[in-house]
Amino acid sequence: MDTNSGEKWEAMASPMDRMLAGEEELIPSSGFLSSVMECVHEEARVPAPMRFPWRRAVPGVVLAAGVFGWGGFEMAREAMAAMRAGTFTGPEISLPLHLVASIGPAAWVAISLGMSLASWMVSRRLIGHNS
Amino acid sequence: MPPKPSTATEDLADVQRVLSGDVQAFEGIVRRWQGPLVNMAWRYCRDRSRAEEMAQEAFVRAWRGLAQWRREASFSTWLFSVAANVYRTELKRVPTLNLPLDEIEEPSAPAGQYRALAEQRQQEDVRNAVRALPQKYREAVILFYFHEMDVAEAARTMGLPEGTVKARLSRGRALLKRRFPHLNEDMAPTAFAEREA
Repeated sequence: MDTNSGEKWEAMASPMDRMLAGEEELIPSSGFLSSVMECVHEEARVPAPMRFPWRRAVPGVVLAAGVFGWGGFEMAREAMAAMRAGTFTGPEISLPLHLVASIGPAAWVAISLGMSLASWMVSRRLIGHNS
Repeated sequence: MPPKPSTATEDLADVQRVLSGDVQAFEGIVRRWQGPLVNMAWRYCRDRSRAEEMAQEAFVRAWRGLAQWRREASFSTWLFSVAANVYRTELKRVPTLNLPLDEIEEPSAPAGQYRALAEQRQQEDVRNAVRALPQKYREAVILFYFHEMDVAEAARTMGLPEGTVKARLSRGRALLKRRFPHLNEDMAPTAFAEREA
């Protein structure tokens, strides 16, 4: 408090400061405490917001990242080879038939996971701004 | 408004009980801090029922964020800071009805048998003038006087450096003193009657 004593002294020197400092105390109404506790109990009863199911989502996210990463790597490798040979004909990815059949659904899974993630982030941001 | 050591201990004990699942322990916190929080809200809005609503919202917000209290600052500092945020947001959402600073009458000198009444009126005019200050100066002025003229405590409540609060306070007080030049003098309010006579 020592650092402010000079400032306090200066402030106390003016009647205006004395008026503002000497405000009468307001006593909360008798029902205030119970009203606050009622709200708090209500808050406590509300279940905690659902958390994003990271455990369930992680395998899908890893799979999608692997598929996209592998595809990107193959494309880059093909492009490098084509550049070295002087011809660029685009990537030729050869996959076993059962893998080719599962790429379509995997892509949909990846897209839906991406959209879920985006909507979760947007909703978190909205809640953050409102609270 | 530095907390007493016993209050700080009680606050810590209650917070720990609440965090371990005892909702009712929050009542001790509300009981100890309802007066300061309602009075602080009153200084922001000058409306008793609104002040209680705002203080209630501050307690609920404190309840929700209790786990976020880092023990580096005292509980009261953290609680006042939560409350100041709530009050600031609430007044931005629904501002109080303020006259422009220039339209607030300069308090007249109290005299004779009406002195007490006139002094009361003077004080009300000055407080109305505080409410008419631009928001950032107003908050610095409100919290400075609320914390019994402790700049450091006001700065902690606002979450701003002391230097910034001092600058805002100085500007706010300068605006008030320009509006009420005769209150700038070093004399008690009761001396106005003698000067007027």
